Amino acid sequence: MAWALGFALMLWLDGRLDLSNLAMLLVLCSAIAALWLPAIVAVTSATLAVVAFNWLFVPPRGSFQVDLNQHALLLAAMLGVSWLVAGLMARQRWQTLQARHHLRQAEQLRQLGDSLRDTDQPLAHAGLLGSMLAVPQESSVVLLMPRDAQVPTAVEDADLIGQADDEERAGLWHCWRQGLAMGPGTGRHQGLDAWYLPMRGRDAGHGLAFGAAMIRLPDTERPGPDARAHAQALCDQMGQALQRVRASEAERAAREQAQLQSVRNALLAAISHDYRTPLATILGAASSLQTQADRLNADQRLSLATRIVEETGQLARLTDNTLQLARLDAPGVNLRLDWESAEDLVGTVLARARRRAPDRQLQARLEPGLPLLRCDALLLNQLLDNLIDNALKHTPESSPIELLVRRQADVVVLAVRDRGPGVPPAWRERIFDAFQRGNFASGSEAPITSRPGAGVGLAVCRAIARAHGGDLRLRARGHGGSSFECSLPVTPVPATREEASA
Amino acid sequence: MSLRVLLVEDDRELRRTLRDALVIEGHEVLTAASLSEGMALLRHAPAEPGQPAGEPGVDLVLLDLGLPDGDGATLLAALRRRHALPVLVLSARQGDQQKIDLLDAGADDYLVKPFAIGELLARMRVAMRHRGVRLHSAVIHYKQDGLLIDLAAHRVELDGQAVHLTPTEFNLLGRLARSAGQVVTHRQLLTDVWGAECVDQTHYLRLYMGQLRAKLEANPAEPQRLLTEPGVGYLLREADE
Repeated sequence: MAWALGFALMLWLDGRLDLSNLAMLLVLCSAIAALWLPAIVAVTSATLAVVAFNWLFVPPRGSFQVDLNQHALLLAAMLGVSWLVAGLMARQRWQTLQARHHLRQAEQLRQLGDSLRDTDQPLAHAGLLGSMLAVPQESSVVLLMPRDAQVPTAVEDADLIGQADDEERAGLWHCWRQGLAMGPGTGRHQGLDAWYLPMRGRDAGHGLAFGAAMIRLPDTERPGPDARAHAQALCDQMGQALQRVRASEAERAAREQAQLQSVRNALLAAISHDYRTPLATILGAASSLQTQADRLNADQRLSLATRIVEETGQLARLTDNTLQLARLDAPGVNLRLDWESAEDLVGTVLARARRRAPDRQLQARLEPGLPLLRCDALLLNQLLDNLIDNALKHTPESSPIELLVRRQADVVVLAVRDRGPGVPPAWRERIFDAFQRGNFASGSEAPITSRPGAGVGLAVCRAIARAHGGDLRLRARGHGGSSFECSLPVTPVPATREEASA
Repeated sequence: MSLRVLLVEDDRELRRTLRDALVIEGHEVLTAASLSEGMALLRHAPAEPGQPAGEPGVDLVLLDLGLPDGDGATLLAALRRRHALPVLVLSARQGDQQKIDLLDAGADDYLVKPFAIGELLARMRVAMRHRGVRLHSAVIHYKQDGLLIDLAAHRVELDGQAVHLTPTEFNLLGRLARSAGQVVTHRQLLTDVWGAECVDQTHYLRLYMGQLRAKLEANPAEPQRLLTEPGVGYLLREADE
């Protein structure tokens, strides 16, 4: 088009202007054409134009003869300038294209980086990565990524996103393990028809990968190293996100472990303290019997033996409580639930308490018509035992202890109530923590740990109540004393076979 | 009463302590540290003169649950195939289900470790007496502190007054009276009183025990006759001599 216009203009101006002016027009035309045409076409057409110009306008017209003195330089300069312009224009266009391409790649990297930055679920963004990897090559992409924060030990443990045959899967796995790219242009396994790219972490050079991607390359056009570098950069972003997730997971596990360790240490320290006290008494009494038996009278021997028996009972209860607490703290605790009557529970506990403290004032009050409870009888017995044991230990000999069971809306409340010194407000929650011990002189805020006490007792009680879907609370009573109240949900009892009254 | 006791217990210290205590009470004690040793002793213990042939030369077995070479249940099963001698189970608290299984399989009673020697001796006395009663008469009269049960006549009296019981209540009380002084497991009670299909209906048992206590106990919240063994079963207090 430009050429046609150019030549038409030149023919029209022929005779009015001299040859060198016409030549300038031709150079302008070839420069305009170079704006659109590819470099080769532009150069060729510029050459043809110069030849045509020679034929049409350079005297002698109608022949390719050139007057060496006059026109050869003109033609050569025209040709040179046209070529130069064509070349420059092509180079300029290529650079623009390249810049636009890089811009798009940078945009992709930014987009992927943004969506991966704050996520703890990099797997959810695998689709985005897949589409970004596939678009430039119009090719299919397969990703192999970890299922969770664990390090997979076999290819079966990892998530395969996309369709791949066994060989390709093995290739992906190999690439992941090695942390090195494979395929054409990578210097490794050049014969493959796909790129295998590792998703590398922050220290990309160390060969540590957190996943792998496979990009099947089209047979017709092989993308160059630049496209591969970009694909690798995308994969590395995913790799870094995966690395971050794994690191934060490891950190969380380590923190949990440390916490567990400190709880365990506190537990062990407290247990060893609580065990040592009765053990010291037992050892003292027993060794006295052993070495001084001939110098002790019958009463003294009996009193030592009694102390051994009592302290052994204390140790047995402490062991039961500690084991129970450990069991209830474990996940998925298995209760042996059955229908139990409050009467049964209270009767057993009361009989045992009377044996232990025959001189104390103990009383049970049960509201009539209580529903059956769905619970683990042994655990509930342990709960009530502990509460009564506590009340016996922390109240004066003369203070009565009452076991009260009543229904309140949709719970049954089992309460152990005393008229002892009570618990200071600051301690009403803390006493339920394992290994806090309370023996509160009135007015003092800090407990005096003078008397032996199972520091696990109340913690076990609360754990038992909560394992039953209930709770254990301490309520201060109106005229002094404490009421430990265990509430248990009421479960409807299945229908009972009716019996004709005889 | 001097007995020949087989003690199967793997802990050396406990074994020695128990043996010494039993010997002081005048019993003869054979000790075994494992299941196989216990079985061998049962097979080969010389029969006492005057005992029927085929009966083992042992009057009572104390059986620990956690044995190094197997389950106490194996020994109990082997024993029950041929002999009726009483078996007392010694268990740690963890072995509750196993303990119940053994009671259901025919063990006479159980003790949870740690236990006092006095308790052990009392349980042994009950077990022996119970065997004696069972051998001598199938029909029993139960009498304890004002409560009288005549199983043959279907009659229950409390302090001289007849007590009116429903048939189920009477069956339940009767089942407990036949094993008075011994724990009867929930399963045994449900099977014997309500039938095998009701073996999981523990709430029947709770309701009827409540009714029985209301009729027979002075204070049902503190039963003196019908005692609860939490998680295991019930027992009717041992009859007066």
